[in-house]
Amino acid sequence: MTGERTLRVLAAQLRASVMTAMQYRANFLVSGLVALYWVAWNFLPLLILFGDRQMVAGWDYPSALVVVGYFVILRAVLEGIITPSFEDAISRIRNGSFDYVLLKPLDAMLLVSACKVEPWKALELLAGLGIFVHAFLELGRPPTPGAVALGVVMLLSGVVAMYSLWLAAVSLSFWAVRLDNLMYLLSAIFDVGRWPISVFRGAVRVVFTVVIPVAIMTTFPAMALLGRGDARTATGAIGGSALMLLGSRLLWRRAIAAYTSAS
Amino acid sequence: MITATALRKEFQVSRRPPGLRAALASLLHRRTETVVAVDEVSFSIAEGERVGFLGPNGAGKTTTLKMLAGLLHPTRGQAEVGGFVPHRRERGFLCAITLVMGQKQQLIWDLPPSETFAMNRAIFDVPVREYKDALDELVTLLSLAPVLDKPTRQLSLGERMRCELAAALIHRPKVLFLDEPTIGLDVEMQLAIREFIRSYNQRHRATVMLTSHYMDDVVALCPRVIVIDGGKLLHDGDLRTLIKAKDPDKRVSCLVPRAVAEPDVMPQVAARLAGLGEVTLEGARLRLRLPESRLAEVIGILLSELRVSDLSIEDPPLEDVMRAMFRKPAASQEPARDASAEARE
Repeated sequence: MTGERTLRVLAAQLRASVMTAMQYRANFLVSGLVALYWVAWNFLPLLILFGDRQMVAGWDYPSALVVVGYFVILRAVLEGIITPSFEDAISRIRNGSFDYVLLKPLDAMLLVSACKVEPWKALELLAGLGIFVHAFLELGRPPTPGAVALGVVMLLSGVVAMYSLWLAAVSLSFWAVRLDNLMYLLSAIFDVGRWPISVFRGAVRVVFTVVIPVAIMTTFPAMALLGRGDARTATGAIGGSALMLLGSRLLWRRAIAAYTSAS
Repeated sequence: MITATALRKEFQVSRRPPGLRAALASLLHRRTETVVAVDEVSFSIAEGERVGFLGPNGAGKTTTLKMLAGLLHPTRGQAEVGGFVPHRRERGFLCAITLVMGQKQQLIWDLPPSETFAMNRAIFDVPVREYKDALDELVTLLSLAPVLDKPTRQLSLGERMRCELAAALIHRPKVLFLDEPTIGLDVEMQLAIREFIRSYNQRHRATVMLTSHYMDDVVALCPRVIVIDGGKLLHDGDLRTLIKAKDPDKRVSCLVPRAVAEPDVMPQVAARLAGLGEVTLEGARLRLRLPESRLAEVIGILLSELRVSDLSIEDPPLEDVMRAMFRKPAASQEPARDASAEARE
């Protein structure tokens, strides 16, 4: 019953977001053009890098494309749902209208997590799938069903890891009030996700694997889809994401308890 | 229905002197102090009651309402609303209450109000039939039909406030916390909202707790008032008793028809009434403030000797009573601020 109600609320939020996006026609069309631009832009760094070499850090061009595919999909989720929704939440915390979120008989975390959706980002989601198709055509072989299944699970785990990081940033806003810049910082860091993690060395690689686990979001899922995944990495990634979600959820609950409500 | 027992709320508020140097210093070290916004407040409100919650700015009214609505955790003391502990924010509790804040909005800015109503229907899980009945009732009582499908951003303040009320009541709550619901509205709209609140209270036997700076709202709606200042409870009881206790004098107003033709007659009238009460002259209108015990004598003089017309006898305005209650010695006049807002700076 609760699940059904949650789905109905999510559908109502999606509907309201789509209607809001269509309320301003010019902005709606410009958003579409911007989405197309970003889809094309994703290929450029890769084309430059592989322009005069066959392999980079153990990755050939089509395999690196799979990483880009995951990056594009995750960024679509990030910029299509997570960032707009959480920016809205931070603004509500600041101006006090977050009160109305807490007055609703539904989990406040759920209510703010998808309250604003950018419909055009669905285009980037499709582009990500298109990149997979292109990459496997280049590789000359389709992924095995087992690899697809693991790739999907790892994608979900990547989304959970990303969501958890951003949720922690929003939770901190309850104390700091203005913390938009932390979300911008996370977005900037997330940009390294377009590269396979083996491109980085030493401490940087450790940071991007464990501390801000960009590897969980793009490289590990790509390895799974390419059939290079192993049980240990998959379990670590899924377990890590689950722990991150748990930690963020606890932080969120503490933040709600500390909410002071602007007048 | 609503019980507050020794309810207390403290906020940690950061303080810094004005100026750039202090701003820089506060980046490194912030001085904080504890501000008591609500101090051991206790009261109980029965089902179906309409209670005015009065106090000057920064008295702790909104903080108390927010604790009762489950938005803020009390530092100490207990609150209970409809059998629930508010800050636990259980589903049954949130479905039974609403909080309307005149200075905040929940309507989706870019979409018509009907979309917010539909969203709230989904969130509160109101069955379609009940939703239609509730919406029909709200549309009729608040005259919403012409504004339902206009984008919120194009609505006037009054239209928006009526829609805010509807959005807050679509799930037919039994307890209404209304924080300045008529703020900024013109007299006509204030009357309309007042009438709506009374009607909703009577139709659904809803409990209403109202704060308003417009004393007319309180006088018209609330037989009982709770008064707080500086976070402390000052009065809890019947509105008329409060007025009588704080200012027992009656206000008499009348017109002296002779004064229209002979303006210099008014000082003579004032002289005749001297010693019976406090006399004020405004053209041909005479105003008197006098103890109730002298009322019969003075009315006799006014009617038989001065042949006045347009005579009215009233209790003192609630505004005057409140002003007298909240008047403080100059030295103790701390600038009134909402501690919850300060706590976040």
